[in-house]
Amino acid sequence: MKTNNETVIMDLIEITRINLNQIEKLNLLTTEKLNFKENSEKWSVLECIAHLNIYGDFYLPEIENSIKYAESYKEPFKPGVVGNYFVKLIQPKEDLNKMKTLSKFDPNGSDLDRDILMEFKNQQIRMLDLLSKALTVNLTKAKTAVSISKMIKMRLGDTLKFVVYHNQRHINQANKVSI
Amino acid sequence: MKNKPLLIERIEGLDLWEKEVELSRNEFLKVSGSIDTNLYYILSGSLRIFIIDESEEHTIRFGYQDNMIASLNSFISEKPSEYFIQAIKKTKIKVIGKKAVMKLIEGSPELQQFWNIALEQIIFQQLEREQDILISSPKERYRRVMERSPQLFQEIPNKYIASYLRMTPETLSRIKKY
Repeated sequence: MKTNNETVIMDLIEITRINLNQIEKLNLLTTEKLNFKENSEKWSVLECIAHLNIYGDFYLPEIENSIKYAESYKEPFKPGVVGNYFVKLIQPKEDLNKMKTLSKFDPNGSDLDRDILMEFKNQQIRMLDLLSKALTVNLTKAKTAVSISKMIKMRLGDTLKFVVYHNQRHINQANKVSI
Repeated sequence: MKNKPLLIERIEGLDLWEKEVELSRNEFLKVSGSIDTNLYYILSGSLRIFIIDESEEHTIRFGYQDNMIASLNSFISEKPSEYFIQAIKKTKIKVIGKKAVMKLIEGSPELQQFWNIALEQIIFQQLEREQDILISSPKERYRRVMERSPQLFQEIPNKYIASYLRMTPETLSRIKKY
């Protein structure tokens, strides 16, 4: 029988597949193009992806831990107030809404290595594994910390959405740089 | 040009393809965790199916031009599977869902027979493959696969063949020199 978790997670797996494919396309660009900045304010392709890797470094272990101690699936996932706010905020829109990044998440570098793309790819392989494991857990009750404050907790289901949409958002941004 | 499989001819005749997909090198048609009950027909290029175990990729199967390919475990069970399907080079495929395939087959004794033979062939190949994997001599594993599918060595890069044969690329090139 199809659980509600399946609906939530299959969607995130499909977006992750598309994200991975976008990275393969970006990997065809020269290192020069990957480091190209329109101006000092704007991120290069590699800065966009490095930013995602910084997030991954925080969230992947958080998610892994949360799954490890989570209860089994019982009822459909209900988004939380905090989660809803962050997920809506980050979801890619037609017109990319500008957001400010805290300095600790700002990759800021003009001579970055394309290994960043490989690192992102490896993170996504791990994310896919975690998404599969999350299928059978209670996504409402399990919680993770939030990157901006250790005080705030977010429901696991919201965290999974947040991370995947956030990836999608900045890959869209990276695609625009390279045009 | 090889003959098209009967099933493909019929799908084409009735214009049942859901879509055509183009993948550039290394792009994924399917990733681990997804449910994929599609049947694919490769128009050009090649694909590989693999799993990742403890960060290591293990190649399970290849698909070449004019082959039908599916994430067979997911196709049968309609459940998520750990398979990745990735393009080895620029690849064009046509896509049809399981429901449409099954409906077509059920309506035609001729296609039913075709499907049964195809499944038999898959079982037979899987038995050969099981034996391959159990054989301890890398040289013997190489010899068996070479005999069975010489096409593999013309179309697929060494690193993937090595992964398929469960050996390092170095061992493979050493064996090939003999």
